[in-house]
Amino acid sequence: MTDFNPSQKSLEFLKNKFQDYYKKNKIELPDRFGRRELAFVLFGGKGMIRHSSFNKKKDLLDFLKERVPQHVYYSSAYYQTPDAPKMQDKNWMGAELIFDLDSDHLQNADKMSYDEQLEIVKNEFEKLVREFLLGDFGFNEKYLELYFSGARGYHCHVKDPAIFDLDSNERREIVDYITGRDLIDSYIFHEHITGRKHYGDHYFPSGKSLKMPTPDQTGWKGRISRGIIDIVDEIRKSDDPNKSLQEYGVKKKDAEKLVMELSDERVSRIKDGLLDQSKTIRKFFLNSALRKTAVTLSAGETDEPVTCDIKRLIRLPFSLHGKTGLKVVKIDIDKLKDFDPLRDSVVLGDDLVKIKLNQSIDMKMKNEIFNLNEGEQEIPTYLAVFLIGRKIAHIC
Amino acid sequence: MRDLSTLAKYPFLNEARQYIKDYGPSVTELLEGLLYERSRTIGIERLDNALKNGDVGNRSLASKSDRMMEIFSYPLARMVAVSVGDTYFNRRYALGEAIHAYRNLPNERPSFLIDVSEELHINAEYVESVGSVKVFFKDYLRNAPTRYKKWKMVNRDIDGGYVNISLRDLTRLILESLRRRIEEELESRKSNKAIEKAFSSDIKRFQNMVNLHKKKMEAAPVGKLSIEKLPPCMKDILAAIQAGENVPHMGRFALVSFLNSLQLSTNEILKIFSNAPDYQEDRTRYQVDHITGASSSTSYKSPGCEKMRTYGICPVDKMDELCREVYHPLTYYSSKWKKEKNK
Ligand code: SF4
Repeated sequence: MTDFNPSQKSLEFLKNKFQDYYKKNKIELPDRFGRRELAFVLFGGKGMIRHSSFNKKKDLLDFLKERVPQHVYYSSAYYQTPDAPKMQDKNWMGAELIFDLDSDHLQNADKMSYDEQLEIVKNEFEKLVREFLLGDFGFNEKYLELYFSGARGYHCHVKDPAIFDLDSNERREIVDYITGRDLIDSYIFHEHITGRKHYGDHYFPSGKSLKMPTPDQTGWKGRISRGIIDIVDEIRKSDDPNKSLQEYGVKKKDAEKLVMELSDERVSRIKDGLLDQSKTIRKFFLNSALRKTAVTLSAGETDEPVTCDIKRLIRLPFSLHGKTGLKVVKIDIDKLKDFDPLRDSVVLGDDLVKIKLNQSIDMKMKNEIFNLNEGEQEIPTYLAVFLIGRKIAHIC
Repeated sequence: MRDLSTLAKYPFLNEARQYIKDYGPSVTELLEGLLYERSRTIGIERLDNALKNGDVGNRSLASKSDRMMEIFSYPLARMVAVSVGDTYFNRRYALGEAIHAYRNLPNERPSFLIDVSEELHINAEYVESVGSVKVFFKDYLRNAPTRYKKWKMVNRDIDGGYVNISLRDLTRLILESLRRRIEEELESRKSNKAIEKAFSSDIKRFQNMVNLHKKKMEAAPVGKLSIEKLPPCMKDILAAIQAGENVPHMGRFALVSFLNSLQLSTNEILKIFSNAPDYQEDRTRYQVDHITGASSSTSYKSPGCEKMRTYGICPVDKMDELCREVYHPLTYYSSKWKKEKNK
């Protein structure tokens, strides 16, 4: 019997709860859904069931209710024959543009709590959507769909028909733009001659300064300018400017020099777009501003951002994430700021369940604070699923 | 209606096509009529020039008849190209036509450039007050040589979905869009029996030139790489590249990362790609450096058999015994070496 196998029991428990969800809730399916490939991972199943497609919504909904997959994915691409077993026989017709931001790329992610990680990713995500997708690329808001991934990140699906046929090279260009890759410093800074001397008939430049873009300029010019001004303000406001510069990676000696040079007058010159600094300082400003303002995208299987992959499988909106029990919820752009994944994507019930915790936990979920010690505990279903999914607890 | 000399310089325009329909000869007349001898000669000249110099060439357009002959030579050259029936040849010819237009365009007025853009589905608008052009970012992406850093979108002014570029840059987008359009048209047309008959010796001559070129390329040794030890997947991709077929990104990615793992240098890898008809060294170098990590800190791993299969680039029908034993194309290659040693 499997009764003595805790992981088996836990799996049964998760599956039951997932089944309840799929039975009781209406799942909204993606547009042109008959043209999509669907893929599933079943509870306890090995590997992924791929190349499925469903003509009728009801068939898929029945499948979810009966087979109760742990993970459900759909293709961002539309195909003529979505269920053909070979990729080349599917006949690609186009694909949404997908952006995937996840906390696993964060530096020091392991030192942060789940909440903290998600908060950082959310800010990054908001920047992507507002500044880049709506701003620079000018996408109409009605074409953007934002989702919480159900675990550690956010997805944005761009459904503007104009971009369905972009190939992966073209998508990579968009990624390079958003991540600021290959930004040339001479595009941003221009040398500017401030004075002239003349000897006989010849004029020679006697003073040079570096012209930097102003914050109101479009695209990367304005972005870098705003970034630099932020950094300058940050350094000047900090109690120990030398130290905060060193945190940016500036050497001690350079930092001291820079702090000395950042007089009020100098700062106002920078805001006017004049940055007469040495090459190293200029590089420092450019790189720091770039890091501050660019978006970091998660890498896919080929270590390339998911966005470039035109045949990508992505978690099905409104399904449950198999490792957290959280719902892949759609988020209104205007509500993104206040979105709290551990409150707004909790959909499972709160009946109490007995579980055994492998470690003590201290977290907030669905507006309730849980301070629990290791060992047996009675907790609401949604929390139990979350903890079991993350392998912190099991059914006893 | 535009004047004839404009149509002669840009015979791909819809208006030129219409002119031929309204005032031009029928196909039979064009092929046989004494009057059109000159068009026929120019048509073949276009192809020869494109193949040899990368530009279909300039001819006098002084008289009305000069202009007419030039216009009629264009459909003729295209029909002959279709009958040669070779991808490499079509690409060279399409490029030759596009380069020819590109060289003439800087002398034209902004409104003309915008009209041509529109015909080629480039959404562009001239902003007179600043003398620059706003192009929809997708049309920019599709046609700009973004392999050069200066052309990458990140180094361009973009706002609300439109990239701001100069008129000169617009002609570069036109070049690419035109090249692609002609190439696609040539690939989709069927060869015409009458043409094959009338130009049989020229068609043969072109076919021989193309074959000679391909032979030369095949014979070129590829460094320390042992071609016959390559797994079927890599052989396929390599063959496609050398034949000038359009290899999808994943295929190129798989080959480059594979060769990189075999310690081939960027230059050695470039040599392999240099056989492709539209080979452009700097572009390919850029892509290769990107994959091997020479230009970024990450070098990409060469994909395994499983991944190759999901991308549809493992030729399942060509898999051999060894394929069934390995999980990675690299293992295939190294076991071939080992097997040889043990013999
Ligand atoms: S099985 Fe592996 S090595 Fe063989 S052809 Fe397929 S991908 Fe290449």
